[in-house]
Amino acid sequence: MAYNIIVLIKVIPDLEQIKPDQQGNVSTKNLPLRIETLSENSIEAAVQLREKHGGKVTGIIFGTQETVPIMKKAYAMGVDDGVVITGYPGNDPRYTASVLSSKIKGIPHDIIVMGNQSADSYTGLLPGLVAGALGYTLIGNAISIIPTERKVRVKKFLENKNVDVEAPLPAVISVAQEINEPRLPPVMQIMAAGRKQIPTEAASISNSSSIKVLSNTAPKSERKKMIFEKPEEGIPVIIKVLKEELR
Amino acid sequence: MRSFVFSDDQSLVPAIATFARGLGEYDIYASGPPSPAIKKYGASKTFILNDPNLTDSIADLLASKLSAGEYQFGFIASTVNGRDVAGLLASKSNANAIAEISSFEFSGSSVRTKRFFFGGKSILEEESSSRIFTVSPGIAEPKEVDAESSVEQVSLSPSRITVLSSEDKKSGGVDIEKAQAIVSIGRGLGSKDKLSSIEPFASAINAVIAGSRPVCLDYHWLSEDRQVGLSGKKVRPKVYIALGISGQIQHIAGMRGSKIVIAVNKDRSAPIFEECDYGIVGDMFDVLPKLMDGVKK
Repeated sequence: MAYNIIVLIKVIPDLEQIKPDQQGNVSTKNLPLRIETLSENSIEAAVQLREKHGGKVTGIIFGTQETVPIMKKAYAMGVDDGVVITGYPGNDPRYTASVLSSKIKGIPHDIIVMGNQSADSYTGLLPGLVAGALGYTLIGNAISIIPTERKVRVKKFLENKNVDVEAPLPAVISVAQEINEPRLPPVMQIMAAGRKQIPTEAASISNSSSIKVLSNTAPKSERKKMIFEKPEEGIPVIIKVLKEELR
Repeated sequence: MRSFVFSDDQSLVPAIATFARGLGEYDIYASGPPSPAIKKYGASKTFILNDPNLTDSIADLLASKLSAGEYQFGFIASTVNGRDVAGLLASKSNANAIAEISSFEFSGSSVRTKRFFFGGKSILEEESSSRIFTVSPGIAEPKEVDAESSVEQVSLSPSRITVLSSEDKKSGGVDIEKAQAIVSIGRGLGSKDKLSSIEPFASAINAVIAGSRPVCLDYHWLSEDRQVGLSGKKVRPKVYIALGISGQIQHIAGMRGSKIVIAVNKDRSAPIFEECDYGIVGDMFDVLPKLMDGVKK
């Protein structure tokens, strides 16, 4: 049977380019944006499911006005329809989940796919918050997804084991990077994606987050940073340190 | 004030329970056959859950206790199942959750926490009325107490999840989070067969061998359980020796708690040299034999 799949796509700045200012404050303003790694895996997983079983893939980005063009990449990878919701504040996963789940409710769906953790905030809370808000089962860190009529079988990638589980649909499934190798879309698809409409709307729920940001600064490195360009000078120093510390 | 500690991996309980002890009384929720050690971490009660994969039922159980006011805070080990439970629990109990906290201060009405942000490039300090927190084991140095807590089996409410089968992963048989000394290798090693030239040095200083993400996940030179980094293990040995590791921020976030960091790298501009105490610009295969000779003397 065919499945309606919603894929939640996170857009993040190029973190390697973050440079703290004199006071140590960091900002991601004006940095190039990209689809978060696990979101690419999620898109790939969703598109593969549609290729195998039929159905439709709808991509949702909760981002800002600047993230709108990023949807083109998702289209090029095979996402059928997309919507960008603007007003993403960044640090309150519960608010993010409430905005996403209210949008999801208005789109037909059987399976919701998303990344298990994102490379910028690493909270790992969003899958549970989205599943909770929708009242669905969450299956976390998937490395394979096999829908069987109204159920889904998933291999979960845990720290010390892999576990096969089954749950009824609809379900929220978060994916691990190991699930697949995201495709590089062919040029024709990239060009076609460029011409496709990207519907954009403002978040339907206002942000009443009670989480207050006090500071966001680069961690201070208190390391000694004694660097020896001539190994023969450094070796005796390090031998002494090793002997003292590991007595 | 009472809290609960939940970990689906019993080996993570000691550190988190020790941390919770600083705040008042607490119960422990864990899964699997109870290890003898689990009684010794100061809980009022220790509850054993039958299956850690039934995240919906676990979240229901903990949500009912949070909502009933039985606990003010919940501290959950940051594992795959732990994070799933934390998110579901926050939703079900209508409480805020803060992930991966590295610091926690309670002021009576609000909580101040710190966590890594922007992939480890920054530390976000937040103030909130959050009640649920995911925590890495590095939060405290585990300490046992004299008294033993009672251990009780809890059966969970029916879950929508059916566990069909489970398969243990190949494990290197070591726990790098407990190591006093770590020799950590990066792509600079070159190939898996060169591990044999690292092992004698590691054993000479009683160190375990760990590695960066590419080494463990992409090239499989080491098993996954030896990966240090934001997405791997967070380690805090006395000595961390980074060999051929460039020092991407995701890696640094996994070893920042180390007491002393030593780096050997051919590339003077490698970021690891900004995050080490002692660094040698050079070839690890030249440097290691000399370090080993010196340590043995």
